[in-house]
Amino acid sequence: MNAKSRKRAELKYHVSRYGTGLLFMLPWMIGFILFVLIPVSWSLFMAFNKVQVGGTFKYEWVGLRNFRDAFLKDNIFPVELITYFQQMLLMVPIIVLFALLISLMLNQKFPGRFIFRALFFLPVIFATGQVLSELFAQGVGDVPFLEQYNLEPLVKKYVGAQFTETVMDVLSRAVLILWYSGVQILIFIAGFQTIPASVYEAVRIDGATPWDSFWKITLPASMPFISLNMLYTIIDLFTFPLNPVLAHIKDNMFKANTGYGYASALAWIYFAFIFILIAIVLGVFGRKMKRGSVRA
Amino acid sequence: MMSGLKAEIARARSGIQSLFWSRRAQKVKLMVIGRNISDGLIAKLVLYVLLSIVAYLYLQPILYMVSTMLKPATDLLDATVRWIPREVTWDNITKAFHGLQYPNALLVTATIAISCSLASVIICSMTGYAMARLSVPFKWLFTGLIILTFLIPPQVVIIPLYVIFSKLGLLNSIFVFLVPALLGQGMKAALFIFIFMQFFKSQPQSLEEAAKLDGASTARLFVGIMLPLARSACLVVFLFSFIWYWNMYYEPSMFLSKGFTPLSIRLDMLEEVLNPTLLGNTRTIINPITEGTKMAAAFMIILPPILIFIILQRWFVSGIERSGIVE
Repeated sequence: MNAKSRKRAELKYHVSRYGTGLLFMLPWMIGFILFVLIPVSWSLFMAFNKVQVGGTFKYEWVGLRNFRDAFLKDNIFPVELITYFQQMLLMVPIIVLFALLISLMLNQKFPGRFIFRALFFLPVIFATGQVLSELFAQGVGDVPFLEQYNLEPLVKKYVGAQFTETVMDVLSRAVLILWYSGVQILIFIAGFQTIPASVYEAVRIDGATPWDSFWKITLPASMPFISLNMLYTIIDLFTFPLNPVLAHIKDNMFKANTGYGYASALAWIYFAFIFILIAIVLGVFGRKMKRGSVRA
Repeated sequence: MMSGLKAEIARARSGIQSLFWSRRAQKVKLMVIGRNISDGLIAKLVLYVLLSIVAYLYLQPILYMVSTMLKPATDLLDATVRWIPREVTWDNITKAFHGLQYPNALLVTATIAISCSLASVIICSMTGYAMARLSVPFKWLFTGLIILTFLIPPQVVIIPLYVIFSKLGLLNSIFVFLVPALLGQGMKAALFIFIFMQFFKSQPQSLEEAAKLDGASTARLFVGIMLPLARSACLVVFLFSFIWYWNMYYEPSMFLSKGFTPLSIRLDMLEEVLNPTLLGNTRTIINPITEGTKMAAAFMIILPPILIFIILQRWFVSGIERSGIVE
């Protein structure tokens, strides 16, 4: 009797403590189970099977064969993965650096800056999906001086022959790639607002030039935003219309001899690669962020 | 003696004059070079020139789009015509209008974008509020799971999702997008939850305490006080969500196959509509004659969001700063 009533009181306490919170979370939790947890575990399961579709799904457990095939039998996937990896290594720094430079300029006070801010945000509105790939297909978005100065031999000389194609590929669509920096510019500008103006005044009185104050104050203070932007860029490029890996996954879904199981395995390998990339960014910049905060 | 005084006066005058001139020179110097790097005229000029050049490069593809759209077929084939067409034609626009089945597809896209964005705002604000302010068991776990939903590429789950949607009977209707949005799994919902979380965390606790003392329930408090407070965050989330739903291509290409077709899919099908003889893989072929029509179609797709952006520009750009995403 006593234990029972205590239990009831405990339950009542938990309900009153967590009830509303959980109720607020309820839609998200249902959605998570239905549209994330089930699909993710299902696709992981499929990655270890040979899946045949004919009205119903037929599974045949193959263990790690799909993953092995992806690297050993498939002669497109590893190449595309490496190509995409190279492109990412090039594109992420370009986008983040570009966003940093533009936001530094847009952070200055000058009449009409809101027009420029709006201009640089504009691509966010249409720089996704079909419109972009249509523009890609037309081959617009190259930087004009590229052809005039015949950059290719120069690139070949400095980065080596095997990367030349990637570099030229990225450079030839430089403008459209830079279109992916709209949100990053906003994040940087908002980040600069968190640096108090009094710090700049103090170093100026101490005789620091603007050049010094950029390296000693602005850059260290915006380190967290740089890493945030790198993460955002990596994730944003998931849906990059030119991503060759995604096209390959989609192709394999509907092929008779490979099918969903193989496509799932490819998607998971791809995810693992991205995850490693994110972990590296977090590892490098996370430590820097901590060090910066200790110094501050 | 007189001459000595005169000389003295003259010296003083010239001294004053030179002081005056040096002051003026200093002023000019200050104006041109400035005390800070951004104050002076030269710096501003450099800034304007740099920004204008980059902005021109940045917007070049759009200019190309508009110029191609207005070119007749003869100009498209003529390599000497680069930017300005010999004569402006509206042909491409009318062709694109019919090819896209514009009114119908626009309605579909707008319905999806508006309803799903509204649902996202409501559910993400609720979830964000619970994560920021209410006591939820295993909060760290939920935080991790929300981040996880953001990281999973859509390609990983697209096949199971397709099966789930078809089991639930949602395919080829608006519910394919509306139901996930209503359950907090809409497009980039994790990002929006974090935006709301950050926002609610930055609000003073005293408001809630006061309302609690007055006997308001949590639901009442949320709807009556917190949500109106979060107006700017709501607007930012709605606008971003709207744009991303408007532009999405991958999901509708998988889940919407017949009848219920948004603009992005219609654009993809346009080549076949324009060139019925060209069946199959039209993707790799760049047909200079249909180029103008395609550009017109692309322009018509991005026009509504651009108009909205121009009207609401102020909120878009400053809203991110005010909603406290970065902090």
